[in-house]
Amino acid sequence: MAQKLKDTILNPILKGNPITVLVLGICSSLAVTVQLKGALVMALSVIAVTGLSSFVCSLLRNTIPNRVRIIVQLVVVAMMVILVDQILKAGEGTYAIDKQLSVYIGLIITNCIVMGRIEAFALGNKPIPSLLDGLANGAGYGLILVIVAFLRELLGSGTLFGFQVLPASYVPNNLVILPPFALILLGCIIWAHRAYDKSLQEK
Amino acid sequence: MNTNSNVYTVIYTTLIVVVVASLLAFVAMKLGPAQQANAKAETLRQMMSAAQIKPAEELYAMSNADILQLYADTIAEAYTIGADGQPNGSLSVEKGKIELIDKLKPQNKAILAGAAVTLPVYVFQSGMKVIPIYGAGLWGPVWGYVAFQPDGRTIAGAFFDHESETPGLGAKIKDESWFREKFVGKTVLWSESPAFRLEKNAEADGSVNAVDAITGATMTSKGLNEALNVWFKAYEKHFNREEE
Repeated sequence: MAQKLKDTILNPILKGNPITVLVLGICSSLAVTVQLKGALVMALSVIAVTGLSSFVCSLLRNTIPNRVRIIVQLVVVAMMVILVDQILKAGEGTYAIDKQLSVYIGLIITNCIVMGRIEAFALGNKPIPSLLDGLANGAGYGLILVIVAFLRELLGSGTLFGFQVLPASYVPNNLVILPPFALILLGCIIWAHRAYDKSLQEK
Repeated sequence: MNTNSNVYTVIYTTLIVVVVASLLAFVAMKLGPAQQANAKAETLRQMMSAAQIKPAEELYAMSNADILQLYADTIAEAYTIGADGQPNGSLSVEKGKIELIDKLKPQNKAILAGAAVTLPVYVFQSGMKVIPIYGAGLWGPVWGYVAFQPDGRTIAGAFFDHESETPGLGAKIKDESWFREKFVGKTVLWSESPAFRLEKNAEADGSVNAVDAITGATMTSKGLNEALNVWFKAYEKHFNREEE
């Protein structure tokens, strides 16, 4: 039991990472990784949405009519996303970050990881493991987001969390700021992940 | 129970939608005032940054309550002007009842359509007059606040913001203080067309009403240029009259 729980939490972060292994959630990971602060808030928002949506859908799993289950899931996910957005907008400290992330918070609804975990896990498991599975998958997504944002903010602006860390003589690389570079970086991370974990390589 | 029957499905979906909708309506109602307070403080920060009350970084580090206090302490009066450029109403500047016209999108639509529109002018105790501008950038709206010296033509300061311009490129209109500082000391030539130019190499000929566009942010610069000129045109009668 303990081993299974450990797998539920660790697998999505490492061996079954939603971005580097399942290649889900690519769109937003290209869009919100220009600055570390935005990426961090986005990561936390996704963790909250995947966790809570999986939890609620798992609670409802035995009552959901099979024919409309996708729609019911969508309603639950949409509700969570709107809640996160509203709460960010209402916080005095988070208002500016919400403005900066603009549409991407709303677009968490379309993140394949959320619906994917509900379909694959929450509908067949009890609420607490579903909650953990959702949180862990969000964390797996968030981890990659933060790694990519760290490199892009460092090389693209010479800053981290808005503070200058590279010497002023460093000329920020504009290519790093553009979305294509995020894709190149993601490719490199997937490469490194596969080189490290041989079991991920296809024969 | 048969969860696949039509009756069950219809009742279930109706119920879940009603529950979710009421929950969201309740949350929106509860959080609405806090969100509006944030939006209002944001507008005040941008106006006061334009009016050179304090640098933007300091204003953004202040709490909402301090911002309201600072505005109440530094503003002289705020009024609205009609199509003829004459003041036709006043906006309260008293602490606790601060009135702003911060819905700029419908205003912009009315200006572009040539319809009658009521525009705000905020006069600070330093004599600076702050006006808003609004337009379309590359991905979404861009807007800002421009402060004029008491002479009504020299720009004392400006602050620009955007919804979703490209970070590191178009977003520089907000992120980089050197960009807004370029506007300080420039002059709006009210009777000329265009009254102001934000264009590639515009500064090269030494014009007093020109600022260079941002490299790599052509469309954002164009949109901001358009926003400046459309709104300056709408305010022309107000400021040009004062010159006489």
